Amino acid sequence: MTYAVTEACINCKFTDCVEVCPVDCFYEGENMLVIHPDECIDCGVCEPECPEEAIIADTEPDAEKWVALNQKYSEIWPNITERKDPPADAQKWSGKLDKMDYISPAPASA
Amino acid sequence: MNVMQLKASDFESDQEVRWCPGCGDYAILKVVKTVLADIGHSPDDVVFVAGIGCAARFPYYLSTYGFHTIHGRSAAVATGVKLANPDLDVWVVGGDGDFLSIGGNHTLHALRRNVDLNLLLFNNAIYGLTKGQYSPTSPVGTRSPSTPGGSVEQPVNAVSFALGAGAKFVARGADTLQTHLPTVLKRAHDYKGASFVEILQNCIVYHDGAFGAINDRSESQNVTVRLEHGQPMLFGKENDKGLVFNEQTGTFDVDELTNLKSEDDVAIHDETNIDRAFALAQMEQPGHPVPLGVLYAEPAAEFVDARGFTGTKGAWDRDALKALL
Repeated sequence: MTYAVTEACINCKFTDCVEVCPVDCFYEGENMLVIHPDECIDCGVCEPECPEEAIIADTEPDAEKWVALNQKYSEIWPNITERKDPPADAQKWSGKLDKMDYISPAPASA
Repeated sequence: MNVMQLKASDFESDQEVRWCPGCGDYAILKVVKTVLADIGHSPDDVVFVAGIGCAARFPYYLSTYGFHTIHGRSAAVATGVKLANPDLDVWVVGGDGDFLSIGGNHTLHALRRNVDLNLLLFNNAIYGLTKGQYSPTSPVGTRSPSTPGGSVEQPVNAVSFALGAGAKFVARGADTLQTHLPTVLKRAHDYKGASFVEILQNCIVYHDGAFGAINDRSESQNVTVRLEHGQPMLFGKENDKGLVFNEQTGTFDVDELTNLKSEDDVAIHDETNIDRAFALAQMEQPGHPVPLGVLYAEPAAEFVDARGFTGTKGAWDRDALKALL
């Protein structure tokens, strides 16, 4: 079992989830966060924190592809353990659907 | 015996796990499933016995056999399970209320009898299930519905209690330390006799942050010392502090390595030394790092099981036991 971040996070990246995760299992890309499925303890504390409702449990329909994406990038991107300011244009992207075309595979810059 | 390599998911039950979001119990459940897979007993050969409390929901969430008993009585029921069938791998799970208040008596006797059980105490220093009253391990001054002016009683030190009860294996871990906790649980399982493990567990709703930086992955090394038998007791992110045994007081002093004449002054952990184990058990924040790992493991301690109980030697004789009943 794990939780996973979906495309709703892309270009928003509010990092409220990072602040509450007890096991620091979030990893940061240039414009998205992901959860490491092997490190997530399934406690669910992050899910209601996300203002974009981008986090889902793997029991939800279609979760499989998001878990796979989270697995892939959590092994490449750096670990993030503290909240940070969202991108300047985060509000512009808030609530937008179908953001997968905009995902950046690049890791967050240090 | 199942010869296939088991996975953590093989120990998952079909029940929806229900603790508060963010509860440390999720972290412990994850570690336990991983450790059980690593140990490799078939779920059919494992039993989890629990009393009452948040922690005591544990048996529902595992595919092993389980018994949700009455408040504080899990150790007594587990003793019965082990005596009736010593081939089972028996674990006992409870919180600080269940193990040290309501069931304090049973915990003491299970430890003293040294029945081959693995007792896991989830210590969150609060009564979570009943909405936040102070517990036997709550620090002095804890404000709660039952102590609105702050508690005035000294808390129980769980590992000191276990050592005092005569436990032969005493260890401590923390919920979110996901690489450390499995090593502690594996040692507890491998020990033949009553293994007592205190797991510092954060209750996010009623006692958030009760253990400060101990279960914060990035800060933990500054406030805990990881015990390893035969190794010097160093701690700090840079391993720049050490414990020095004070022969005058019989306790451990903390010192910076730069202040010591030699690194050899740092005490070596000897998990077979009961006096040192008591000294370690007394170490608390602030002032001392909190010891995590195996505080005490008596080598070759005798344990009670159905063989010893019936006085028969060699292979366990089920028919002989039945004849006694």
